Amino acid sequence: MSAVLHAHPESGPALGVDAGKPRKVLSEAGQRGRWWRFTAILAITAIVLVPIVVTVLLAFTPGPNSTATGLTFENISNVFSKTLAATWLKNSLITTLATVIISVAVAAPAGYVLSRGRSKAVSGYSLLLFVMQSLPIITSVVPLFILFAGMGLVDNLMGLTIIYVGSTMTVATWMMAAYFDSIPISLEEASWIDGCSVFGSFTKVVLRNSLPGILSTAIFSFLLAWNDYLVAIVFLRSNEIFTLPMGVQSFFQQNATDWTSVMALAVIMMLPPVIVFATLNKYFSVGGIGGSLAGR
Amino acid sequence: MALTTTQSGLSRARRGVAPGGPGTAPVKRRSKLSAQTSRTFFWLLLPSVVLLVLIHGYPLIHAAVQATHDGNLLQTGNFVGGENFSTVLTSPAFWKAAQFTLWFTIVGVFGSWLVGLGLALLLRTKIPAGGTFKVLLLLPWVVPIVVSSTAWNWLVATPDSLIPSLFRNLGLGTPLFLADPTLASITVMVFKVWVSFPFMMMMISAALASVDSTVYEAASMDGATRWQQFSQITLPLIARSTYISWILMTIFCVNDFPTIYLLTGGGPVSATTSLVVLAYRTVFQDFATGPGVAIAFLMTMTLVVISVILYRQIRKSSVE
Repeated sequence: MSAVLHAHPESGPALGVDAGKPRKVLSEAGQRGRWWRFTAILAITAIVLVPIVVTVLLAFTPGPNSTATGLTFENISNVFSKTLAATWLKNSLITTLATVIISVAVAAPAGYVLSRGRSKAVSGYSLLLFVMQSLPIITSVVPLFILFAGMGLVDNLMGLTIIYVGSTMTVATWMMAAYFDSIPISLEEASWIDGCSVFGSFTKVVLRNSLPGILSTAIFSFLLAWNDYLVAIVFLRSNEIFTLPMGVQSFFQQNATDWTSVMALAVIMMLPPVIVFATLNKYFSVGGIGGSLAGR
Repeated sequence: MALTTTQSGLSRARRGVAPGGPGTAPVKRRSKLSAQTSRTFFWLLLPSVVLLVLIHGYPLIHAAVQATHDGNLLQTGNFVGGENFSTVLTSPAFWKAAQFTLWFTIVGVFGSWLVGLGLALLLRTKIPAGGTFKVLLLLPWVVPIVVSSTAWNWLVATPDSLIPSLFRNLGLGTPLFLADPTLASITVMVFKVWVSFPFMMMMISAALASVDSTVYEAASMDGATRWQQFSQITLPLIARSTYISWILMTIFCVNDFPTIYLLTGGGPVSATTSLVVLAYRTVFQDFATGPGVAIAFLMTMTLVVISVILYRQIRKSSVE
């Protein structure tokens, strides 16, 4: 971001000898503009965050049958004791972590080939990935439901994970490829001369220098798997196999008036992605998604 | 953010040299390395290909089979040719859903783009706590739809919810945000814009970050107005990234299921039923697998054609 800060006149360099006077005027105007923009952003952010603030507030507000006053953790602990929230949380964590690990493990090598390969087959595969990611999941869901039903993978977290990996891998592969593009090939060439194999230089040289790219891809896969609802609603049947989206939704449908408990569950569900994003957000760039698309 | 800025230069560099490609190595060594490279590339790509065939390729073929048969979720049934397609194409529900999908997509793409662009421009210059605002404004995109749709439900669903009460107290009547067909469509679209604008904001911010600031200094010295600077410099410089973000958002909107289904369930009276919701309901609630898959298949074919054309366009624009 630092590169664009200079775009504002006030932070520009002095322009020749007579720059003093106009600069001061600009600076005052710039200062006013700055506070105007701050107020605008503050107001917009406040409005935009209303649904999220409401969720959090309700989750910590004492419920109708509660004796507590002020803010309370009662709803959260009630939800854990009254519902299968702990099981749903565990199911969601297992499915999501497995999706993230497998997605990166599949996308990184494929992305490397897309980044370094120059054959017709490689660019054809790149087009195929683009077409596949643009197709509605609902088309694959019905045939996969029939296929998985025969294999016992319906109402099964493994089945869910396989589909999540399949749907994240297309974009994940581009993101990895875009990152590998930013790693100079001279590093690999040096390792080949040292007698390293192509695979060896991929794991020892390229992957070792790709942590931001890997994290970015991992966050993307995390968000997709954690937030999915369509695949879960089709493939999950029993309460104890539900992931959090299904858990929250089923609880909401049965207890639509018990808002404090519903929101407590909602807060439990939104916490992991918010934490992941808050801590790792500097590694994540959707620009990377677009860039990877444009680059090849 | 660095990814986009370094992209073009490095992809040019990449085209110049590749493993086993032209270099200073002796001819013999190079061909050995080249053979090794192809073999390694094959193994590196294999897991990805297997998954693509299993999760995307096989279902697509199977869907084509189902769309031409009269079976259900358990049996394929008899071959009926194009009957499912003609059933779908002559049903008013399909065209109504197609129309809603179109509006939903147009509002979703351009609405989120305008909001994202405005915020990216506002956040571009230094303001107090700018970084914090940037992270806070990403929340609608990060928070799961299941959670945010629940919150929106609390805010608008019944006449006694917060926002309808607010309208009533202001003397504006009591709008039924999810019960009135027109208002429900608008609410779903506003919800979609709320969910999607952070994505646009990130895309545009990344593009703006790579614009050289001296261009603006030169322009303002030449007497260009703010609007001229925006329309003549900013817009052209973010054009390519804008184009890509429109394409991605179009795909996201057309394929969207949870945003609509969780807020309105497709109602009232199918007013907010998009093609994906219609396909889902046809297969899993009406148990009409053939027509349901036919709807999904028609969408798929349309999207294949559109995405191949757009992919070519993007590649062409990135070469220029």
